[in-house]
Amino acid sequence: MLIKIDGKTYKGHPGETLMEVARRNGINIPSLCYKKGFEGLGRCRLCLVEVSEGKRSKIVSACVYPIKEGIEVTTITDEIIKMRKDIILLLLLRAPDNEYIQQLVKEYEVKAPERYIQNDNDDCILCGLCVKACEKLGTKAISLVNRGITKKVSTPYDDPSKDCIGCGACAETCPTNAIKLEESNGIRTIWNRDFDLVKCSICGKYYTTLDALKFIEDKLASNEEHICDTCKKKSTASKFKESFQHIY
Amino acid sequence: MAKGIVISPDKCTGCHTCELACSFTKNDLFNPKDSAISVLSYDEAGLQVPMTCLQCDDPHCMTVCTVNAITKDPKTGVVKVDKDKCIGCKMCISACPFGNMTYSSRLKQVIKCDLCSGTPQCVKECPSAALEFKELDGPLHKRKNIANLFNNVFGEVAK
Repeated sequence: MLIKIDGKTYKGHPGETLMEVARRNGINIPSLCYKKGFEGLGRCRLCLVEVSEGKRSKIVSACVYPIKEGIEVTTITDEIIKMRKDIILLLLLRAPDNEYIQQLVKEYEVKAPERYIQNDNDDCILCGLCVKACEKLGTKAISLVNRGITKKVSTPYDDPSKDCIGCGACAETCPTNAIKLEESNGIRTIWNRDFDLVKCSICGKYYTTLDALKFIEDKLASNEEHICDTCKKKSTASKFKESFQHIY
Repeated sequence: MAKGIVISPDKCTGCHTCELACSFTKNDLFNPKDSAISVLSYDEAGLQVPMTCLQCDDPHCMTVCTVNAITKDPKTGVVKVDKDKCIGCKMCISACPFGNMTYSSRLKQVIKCDLCSGTPQCVKECPSAALEFKELDGPLHKRKNIANLFNNVFGEVAK
């Protein structure tokens, strides 16, 4: 299947989204909620592009638009820039202090009119990428709860979730760094739950949560000693060294 | 057949050039902490041991990765991490039995050797040929295969 993006022809497979084709070919379409390997969420709407099919043209979200034979895509037009500016303005009003949003504001030269009142100051833009990541991991500890202005990402009833393993994948995938993972005195706090961190049995460094290790042990069906990556490397190297010492 | 990095600790001088070569090629910085290869020194034995990913046949990191960000190329045998697909759960780091995967909190990504798509820079820069990029189907591999056959035939009897 051949499609045209900004005048150049690219190959795509049926069922692929426009974003997948663009990213594969190094074409930059801005996005906050898109992640390779995930189905498009279509939440941040920054990936708006213009798609022309014959004489008709329309504006679509690249991350959720399945490609069709012979479409022509324009990634930047005046109209798209205007729409992106509006979206960034709304994001700015939600998360005025967030550095990632500020970067976009700078890039697109968005200025919030003074008549807008900034009520919230939340880093979360409700894109749901963290929810998707948790779902893909198989833990499914968090979800988007409530509707309207009270919508947020949380565990059921904001209680400490027993499904959560404290791996921090949600915090890693968050495009605006809104999820806080705190660690102190061998305790990791995330989503209102305190996790006991596991000490490396050799160096004594805290390195991961017990639940995350259990998750790995279940997957690999093995039960290994709790050793951090640095110490594992050291012990492998010393085995290597010992075998060499006996040769010479 | 698959090629891999063959490490000879007896030839390693401990100059750490491989670490710098790796971090420079991958991250444009000379920071040994962000390198996928690291040299461990054993002064009392007079040995330096470079350690890097062994590109396992049955990689534990790949097994635990739930988003399929880690894949093994059937042709080259390279176990590769797709950074765009990675969600940062760090399960692979805990799962690697050799500790050859690390996490860089500065780069916010896992660090693992991918053999530089067939031209490992650490091997190229190694001044003492302690690292070599060779066919792994050597005599040792053949011997291993025979040993495995032996094990299959006589293993049950021995039990």
